[in-house]
Amino acid sequence: MENEVLTYDALVVGGGIAGEETALNLAKMDYKVLLVEKELSIGGKMILLSKVFPTLDCAACITTPKVSETARHPNITIFTGSEVKGIEKKGERNFEARILRNPRYVKEDACTGCQECELVCPVVVKDQYQYNLVGRKAVFVPFSIANPRIAAIDIENCSLCGACEKACPSDAIDFTQEPEEKTYQFKSVVVATGYKLFDPIKMPRYGYGKYKNIVTSMQMERELAPTRPFNTVLRPGDGKMPDNLAYVLCTGSRDHTVGNPICSQVCCMYSIKQAQLLLGSLPMADVTIYYLHIRSFGKGFNEFYETAKGMGVEFVKGKIGKISEKENGNLVLRYDDIDTGQVKEAEHDMVVLSVGILANDEIGPVFKTQKLEFDDYRYVKQVDELKRPAMTNIDGVYVAGAASGPMDIPDSILSAGAASSEAASYLAEVE
Amino acid sequence: MAGEKQRTVKVIKEKRTISDEVKANIKHYNKMKKLIKEALKEGPKTIPEIARATELPAHEATYYVMSMRKYGDVVTGEIDDMDEYFYYHLNQKN
Ligand code: SF4
Ligand code: SF4
Repeated sequence: MENEVLTYDALVVGGGIAGEETALNLAKMDYKVLLVEKELSIGGKMILLSKVFPTLDCAACITTPKVSETARHPNITIFTGSEVKGIEKKGERNFEARILRNPRYVKEDACTGCQECELVCPVVVKDQYQYNLVGRKAVFVPFSIANPRIAAIDIENCSLCGACEKACPSDAIDFTQEPEEKTYQFKSVVVATGYKLFDPIKMPRYGYGKYKNIVTSMQMERELAPTRPFNTVLRPGDGKMPDNLAYVLCTGSRDHTVGNPICSQVCCMYSIKQAQLLLGSLPMADVTIYYLHIRSFGKGFNEFYETAKGMGVEFVKGKIGKISEKENGNLVLRYDDIDTGQVKEAEHDMVVLSVGILANDEIGPVFKTQKLEFDDYRYVKQVDELKRPAMTNIDGVYVAGAASGPMDIPDSILSAGAASSEAASYLAEVE
Repeated sequence: MAGEKQRTVKVIKEKRTISDEVKANIKHYNKMKKLIKEALKEGPKTIPEIARATELPAHEATYYVMSMRKYGDVVTGEIDDMDEYFYYHLNQKN
């Protein structure tokens, strides 16, 4: 690449909402930022959501302007499909990072996102951006509101048939691209690597994976989103429009047996949100939420919970022991009714597991010279949680968003504000 | 549209081999697509009806029908009298 910049003021690792906010804040203060995202699009998990609680604003309508502002800002350079391989601290305001850019096999400046290539590609594999509910081609535009909205080739699943190259009207396919690893210099680093979702396959008693009408809350989120995989909300087991759905809160949260004893902070509220949206799109449906405690601590959250009750969402204080499947695909939930102390059973035609969130600790081994410290739950440790929550144990390295612990969208944005102002004052200090 | 273009796929073919899994996957998808198209030739069907006609498990029928819908081979039609299952039919434009 000609005139490539190898020196930046800040490296932001992670292009979700916290990373974008951090990058934008720093860029507006005239700092040069490199934003590195491992996925093919920025926007993180938020860009895949349907609506947000408690306002029920459309998630895409909030994310996409921020995503495009980030993408267009002259002080921000974005590498998608890229990984930070190693960060070394060489001195104050002096970090060196090796960054791997994986090839898309599509020329970013030539692709128009027309998707002609997709039509001719013979390979269909599960679409990770639709949480495997539907297929995608080996060459694909990740999702319609992706940024950048350009195709990429999943080379592991490509048959090298060349059909896409033949079909592309812009000559954008380029199989000669190679992975590229380079070293860049930074004055500061912000870790905004977000979180992982709990995989309910780890709780065999719930039958996720085995019983096809049990989905995770993220799969339901996709079913409810405008860019959804089906024409409406359907059971993946047989395409039936469900009319009696159950939510199982705290799946993989507040649970020592699966190694995640902490509250995920967002599961109660996103489940209540989804329940409201379901009643909107399936007006005849019954929705029951099985919970241990409803934690509606935020601004407007309790009112939102009350609204759901008023709309007819049923709340059952019950601990689910086991889920089994009937021949017609319906699911029987066996639970301890906490109010009566009795073991009960209830039948639903679709079950949503409200999965918890887990730390994404992959950034750990990336720090080579000075180890980045984690807390007991593998989130990035906040060394002065009360007074300077964005500080990590490494001077010049800050943390933004859910990389430091479970949090919702407004808190992630606030946290990114703190991280960017800490980074900015570190950058402004005179050596 | 396509003139005599430089085919970069030739370059990568010298460096990579295609796994048997990828080949098998293409064959499988094409087979499923053919089966479902055959079933829909007789007229619109719900997913359980497609599953019965193709002898596929219903969840697989859902996955393939929805993937075909995504790529324009199939379109969603009316819902049945019980308001449970949608009918899917072949996209005549294809
Ligand atoms: S690679 Fe070519 S055919 Fe595919 S989306 Fe881009 S411009 Fe269109
Ligand atoms: S070369 Fe690969 S990505 Fe392109 S059409 Fe063939 S299988 Fe699909």
